[in-house]
Amino acid sequence: MVPVAVQHEKPREDDELLARVAAGNQSALSELIARHGRGLRTFAARYLGNEGDAEDVVQEVFVTVWKQAVRFDSARGRASTWLYRITANRCIDQRRRQALRTFMGLDDISDEVASREPDAEAATAARQELAIVRDGLSRLPERQRMAVLLRAVGDLDIAAIAEVMGGSVGSAEQLLVRGRRALRDHLAMTAEGRERKSS
Amino acid sequence: MTRDEFERNRRRFGDDVNAWPAPFRQEALAFMAGVTATERALQDDPDRALDRLVLEAALTDGDDQALARKVLARIDAGRAQSSFLPGFFLAPAGLAACAAAALLAVTVAGYQVARLQDDLPDSELLALASGARLSDEPGIVDEPGIAADPIEEDSL
Repeated sequence: MVPVAVQHEKPREDDELLARVAAGNQSALSELIARHGRGLRTFAARYLGNEGDAEDVVQEVFVTVWKQAVRFDSARGRASTWLYRITANRCIDQRRRQALRTFMGLDDISDEVASREPDAEAATAARQELAIVRDGLSRLPERQRMAVLLRAVGDLDIAAIAEVMGGSVGSAEQLLVRGRRALRDHLAMTAEGRERKSS
Repeated sequence: MTRDEFERNRRRFGDDVNAWPAPFRQEALAFMAGVTATERALQDDPDRALDRLVLEAALTDGDDQALARKVLARIDAGRAQSSFLPGFFLAPAGLAACAAAALLAVTVAGYQVARLQDDLPDSELLALASGARLSDEPGIVDEPGIAADPIEEDSL
């Protein structure tokens, strides 16, 4: 059973910022970007496996926020959940575009962020471990990866993850459990392989 | 997270770390708890430990101020564009409506041109009525039936 995370974030601050954005205040948008830009970019970069695409996606997200802030209803959910929902939808669109371009032969499949080999990336054990986690993340099925990232990066609880992914709480929980299990298996297998290699 | 980063974020987001946005909040809480306490907590909760590892692995470098500048530039560019072209025409529904209107206009224009080309002059219609055969070139009657030759006409 996955414990439901406690949401620490004060929703009012983001709500107020969104209200100001809806009124056409650009400095409020800049403040919102300062608060959530890093989280959204990290989420998109690891989901898409490409930092350049993630940067584009996050820009699109905030342009959408600028245009549609007036439609945000704080009674229906948290601002951070809304932001991650827009980002997740844009990421899925980006994935489809990538798949279409690859199908048409316009693009090679390139996984810029994930393609770094664990061994090549870092000299220290700690950094190697992080590289293995990144490698494991890139191998997860897309929806499991999304659930794991929303939990770890966005600090969203199960209900919010379900809302972002447009499914039930049960299915979001299942995705998270399976994603974590697969990631743990990957870490264990990689560690085992390394031990075998060194012996 | 270093002490400097923590202080910088405290100036940005305020003293209440629990009110900071993710992922700054998780990093700051880990920093405040200290390494030993964090490790102990992570051993107690393996899911939390994995989340923390994933966050650490996922973090990417990026400049939020540059991001804000790019977003505002895109918004300004969108405004300039929309002043020339209404948003409706840029939306998929607008583009589809434009394409349908263009198709209809081309169809009507084609029909009109074809109709004008097929219109026969009165003399040809008269010749046809009398049983004459029309040549391929418009306006030329190959075999006049009546009144083609004034002498013949007079002889009747």
